[in-house]
Amino acid sequence: MNTETFAENAKAALNDAQLRGALRKATTLFGIRRREAAASLSNWEDLRNEARAIKDDVLLHLDRYLEAFVSKAESRGAKVHWARDAAEANLIICRLSVERGARNVVKSKSMTTEEIHLNAALEGAGMRVVETDLGEYIIQLAGETPSHIIAPAIHKTKRQVAELFTTELGIPPTDDVGQLTSTARHTLRERFASADVGISGVNFGIAETGTIVIVENEGNIRMTTSLPRTHIAVMGIEKLLPRFADLDVFLKLLPRSGTGQALSTYQSFITGTKRNADDEGPDELHIILLDNGRSRMLAHPVTRQSLACIRCGACLNVCPVYQQIGGHAYGSVYPGPIGAVITPQLIGIEKAAQLPYASSLCGACREVCPVKIDIPRLLLHLRGEINQQRTNHRKERWAFRLWAAIMLRPWLYEKTAVAARLMQRWFGLPLQAWTSGRDLRPIEEESFREHWRRSR
Amino acid sequence: MNIGDARAEIMNSIRTHLAMSAPDDVLDAPFNTDPFKNSVPLAAQQVVQLFKRNVELVDGHCLVVNGQSEVEEAVNRIANGRGIAVSGSAVSKQDLFTVGVGVTGAQAGIAETGTLVLDSSVERNRLVSLVPPIHIAILDASKIFLTLGETLAALQSGAELSPAITFITGPSRTADIELTLALGVHGPQELYVIINEGTITNQGAPA
Repeated sequence: MNTETFAENAKAALNDAQLRGALRKATTLFGIRRREAAASLSNWEDLRNEARAIKDDVLLHLDRYLEAFVSKAESRGAKVHWARDAAEANLIICRLSVERGARNVVKSKSMTTEEIHLNAALEGAGMRVVETDLGEYIIQLAGETPSHIIAPAIHKTKRQVAELFTTELGIPPTDDVGQLTSTARHTLRERFASADVGISGVNFGIAETGTIVIVENEGNIRMTTSLPRTHIAVMGIEKLLPRFADLDVFLKLLPRSGTGQALSTYQSFITGTKRNADDEGPDELHIILLDNGRSRMLAHPVTRQSLACIRCGACLNVCPVYQQIGGHAYGSVYPGPIGAVITPQLIGIEKAAQLPYASSLCGACREVCPVKIDIPRLLLHLRGEINQQRTNHRKERWAFRLWAAIMLRPWLYEKTAVAARLMQRWFGLPLQAWTSGRDLRPIEEESFREHWRRSR
Repeated sequence: MNIGDARAEIMNSIRTHLAMSAPDDVLDAPFNTDPFKNSVPLAAQQVVQLFKRNVELVDGHCLVVNGQSEVEEAVNRIANGRGIAVSGSAVSKQDLFTVGVGVTGAQAGIAETGTLVLDSSVERNRLVSLVPPIHIAILDASKIFLTLGETLAALQSGAELSPAITFITGPSRTADIELTLALGVHGPQELYVIINEGTITNQGAPA
């Protein structure tokens, strides 16, 4: 599936009853949990406003905060690498792995590494790569991609997972989720124990202290960042926060918006490398700062706010489009409303021109966004750009000219209305593209003007 | 293509693109930044009770004991003869993956979320809190802060942040298969927090 076949992807998804059942269950549950978690804090709106103000500050001074972050992180022993695009990031990571004679790579869930298609690059360089987040592990075994930012395998039933584990891992068939989880635990433990390199994403980078913060529930990120000798963290340049204390705001918003937890099970705050050689933890920390189209988004005040996103997934769960078709139909790494605004900006608007239209502009995403991104406004902005680029306006221009001519002449308008009514009666109106999925209100048998003349 | 180029080019791109637009999308909505706004002063015992309630809310167990001998007694009761690894001493990879119980300290607690804070300058083998199926954490009642904000401020009060700080709230969990909760996916299935209240019997405020 890709971004250019969105309409067909969506149609296929709409006919998949199992997928829609799973989506209904997941989005409803996440929605309820988010609402309850937000209501548990009396100052939720204050927090959202503060978070956005902090992010606005970061983005408007991104160069300075990046300088501060880099010099702090390097003074604590981290090595920072800059990657202009996906290819450069992959090159750096592969080179680091090869130079260390690595064979086994463990990865923890990261949308940024999905964005650059890191796994394929590492495998190309001869590495054995395993995703260690349970959901990511399942879809890696199945050869699929994540369908939700925080719950990558929600489209799969436990039966499908069981069949997958039976084929791939040779376990006896089971329906028990506990059994499946424990199978993954045991299989992945062996991979952790023998891993040479651990690769993670980053939720927040703190400019003041050079710290990277990673949030999770399973514990696989802690293992990925503690057991192998080398830790490589891949981070978009927009992930910064100015101060350590700002985490008070973001660690309240992120888990509540994502899963409805007051705090996710584990937060790792990593500042450089360990102090004593015999302490636990990797010898080396490499931080890859990835641009890949992000700095371009700073150019316009509307597009810039897309960089405030903290990838909580809340906008997916409330979106009436995502709720019906799920993540795969978008054909992009980032699905849902935020995906529909980020993807065209990352991969080029001509390659994802259908995505900004995958919305009813209802505004539910804007209501739940913890950093108050005005997604509907962004979608309209992108639609505007798409229209600017379209050269084939001839039909549309003629249609509107005709419309204007009719509306300016009352007698012509009346004749047209009569003609449309007759046509409706005899043939139906030629609007099948519209009516195949919706009802059109029929034209009344008597117009107001006719009624007025008759009853006066 | 070399690394120096990439840095200069990205920085240049950031500056040029920022210069192309006025900052007129800044939300600029008012907010109350007072971190203590929702922080009600509680007596030390109330903070302990709040912490305990929140640990239990996320499927952890919490025992409040008085004095070092009661701590040891509780650890032995929970371990029930299983092999123990301790975070303060060196742990071989072999032991790490085979013992039944990991025992660590905790340098702070957060009452409003039931969170343990492990600091690498003291807990040199934090994997002991992650790899064995049971984790026992020992926490001084005097080190429990009420809020996340107070805890973050305290962590920063030293010279500089330790290389690794870990927050732990409940046992390892996942809901990746059909949103069914499963405990102990990668980390421990059971978490016990033993709070030693001996340190606050004088009714003092948290240190």
